[in-house]
Amino acid sequence: MGEVEVPALKGVDLTIRRGDFVAIIGASGSGKSTLMNLIGCLDIPSKGTILLHGKDIAKLSESDLASLRGRTIGFIFQQYNLIPTMSAFANVRLPLELQEMGDRESKARADKTLTLVGLADYAHHLPSQLSGGQQQRVSIARSLVTEPEIVLADEPTGALDSVTGREVIELMQRLWKEQGKTVILVTHDLNLAQYAHTHIELKDGRILSIMENTHMRMFKERSKE
Amino acid sequence: MKLVKCLRHALTMVLHSRLRSWLTIIGIVIGVASVIAIVSLGAGMEAAVNSQISGLGADLVTVSPGYSRAMRFGPGGDFDGGSSASDATLGRQDLQVVRGLPEVKAIGTQIRGSVEVYYLGEKATISLTGVDQSTWKDITTDGIGEGRMLGPADSNVVVIGERLATEHFDKPIGINQLLTIEGRSFRVVGILEEGTGSTIHMPISQAYQVLEDSVRGEYDSIIIKVKDGVDVQAFVDKLEKRLMLSRHVTSKDQDFSVSSNIQFASRMSDMTSTMTMFLAGIAAISLLVGAVGIANTMFTSVLEKTKEIGIMKAIGARNRDIMLIFLFNAGSIGLVGGFLGIGLGWIISKGLGAAMEMSTIVSGGIVAIALLVSVGVGIIAGIVPAYQASQLSPVDALRYE
Ligand SMILES: Nc1ncnc2c1ncn2[C@@H]1O[C@H](COP(=O)(O)OP(=O)(O)O)[C@@H](O)[C@H]1O
Ligand SMILES: [Mg+2]
Repeated sequence: MGEVEVPALKGVDLTIRRGDFVAIIGASGSGKSTLMNLIGCLDIPSKGTILLHGKDIAKLSESDLASLRGRTIGFIFQQYNLIPTMSAFANVRLPLELQEMGDRESKARADKTLTLVGLADYAHHLPSQLSGGQQQRVSIARSLVTEPEIVLADEPTGALDSVTGREVIELMQRLWKEQGKTVILVTHDLNLAQYAHTHIELKDGRILSIMENTHMRMFKERSKE
Repeated sequence: MKLVKCLRHALTMVLHSRLRSWLTIIGIVIGVASVIAIVSLGAGMEAAVNSQISGLGADLVTVSPGYSRAMRFGPGGDFDGGSSASDATLGRQDLQVVRGLPEVKAIGTQIRGSVEVYYLGEKATISLTGVDQSTWKDITTDGIGEGRMLGPADSNVVVIGERLATEHFDKPIGINQLLTIEGRSFRVVGILEEGTGSTIHMPISQAYQVLEDSVRGEYDSIIIKVKDGVDVQAFVDKLEKRLMLSRHVTSKDQDFSVSSNIQFASRMSDMTSTMTMFLAGIAAISLLVGAVGIANTMFTSVLEKTKEIGIMKAIGARNRDIMLIFLFNAGSIGLVGGFLGIGLGWIISKGLGAAMEMSTIVSGGIVAIALLVSVGVGIIAGIVPAYQASQLSPVDALRYE
């Protein structure tokens, strides 16, 4: 028996502007993760093309694609996906090591990024010694340490309680505002989607709507003393 | 990713799955240890055989009367056994033939017999060798223990074997003691080194007088020391031909033999090294089993780490990085197994050596080979699993639970 091909996405034509904060919303199974994986160059579409910086990613070699992922894109996953045998610091530093960055610079950057997400004191903890929210912040630090242009977060709050989830989204919004990154957030929580600038709604693998969120909610500026 | 970093990741992986890694390592340890133990025992055996042989004097050639066909395994494979012409003797003419050869460095003629010896009222029958006192110290393989060897001007003196001095009579025989041999008095001027037998050595001219059935001008053996660098085997063959001519015999009725330790030596070391190779081959099979163990562990590890492989790929790992990490992982299991195996093999070989009262040799060469082989075995066993890991698609790997 042959395998039946079931397209996860159909007729998706989407342009995401640099510096946008996009929320992809839709029911479970609507193709959100598939779309994210394609944008993140983890997957190659069976039909159609993905252009990043005007280049077709399907035409890149495996190792070019890997470095493109490593340098341009930061991933945040629902299940944090930290390497369990490595400390928070080592997890954050790993993408830099993969890029063959020098030891001193990679250490400085990892330290700085851990401080940015408020985990400087937990650098040498293993993931299992951290709470869910802390683990997700480590994974955010890992996605930011390479200073990527695009941050992709696939249901980053899915495994967190609503308060911690809100904190994570707040952190992401702050990074978007302060660092001008392109942030793409997948969520099925419409409340959290309110913090994004653009909404893309998926249904059964098709784009239902793309609209600007006119009621974008902003977290309060933190007073810096 | 830099090689060092890949290596460090691999080592972390080994350390974090300790039990499984150790079980795999044990497989390699057993293989390497048995190879090391066997090869070092073999090397020790070979060295022992060789030193025994060189102690016997590899540059010495002995001509003796009588010919034992059983000693030879000629190309025809003829094997009629038994010795012929037991009444044949060696004489001055044979000595002349030997003297005429340019390869000869020293010649010693000897006669043998047994004599009655009195020492402090005790009587015993002892074997006696009359030696050519001017060359004896060159052609003997025994060293002196106490006193001195026989000199050219000596008479009425003897040098005795260590066992005769210490064990044969109730009272040990010391230097300058007198022995009464067949009614004549001889002074002991030397005792040979430990491990020498209970023979009395005296100047051959006096041995003719002491030994009843000896005939002047007839010898029981002619011992020849060849010059350095002479091909002993070729010399043996040449001397044999010359003596056949002068004694008017053919290989059919040959009545003398020319022998050297070189044939014995090479046959012995061939035998030990063949046996060592054979046993090492068997031991190497357990190394192969160890390699299968590594491959198995690596496959399990790849399966277990599928999700991590997906994560690493998502954050920029190339196929090559993944491949190297898993190869290094397998290689380091091999390396650790190799190190421990060498240690264990060394202990086993020393233990066996002590039990068998022989020295074993763990050479640097075999240690280096063992390490290379065990790392190589690890890497080869890891190639397929590592390749499989590197080819995982990132999305599929990430979805794996
Ligand atoms: N590896 C796969 N094999 C078969 N079907 C898949 C696979 N991955 C995703 N799908 C299907 O594609 C569709 C979209 O999945 P996904 O992108 O994970 O949805 P979402 O993230 O919105 O929940 C679903 O119908 C899912 O069953
Ligand atoms: Mg999903």
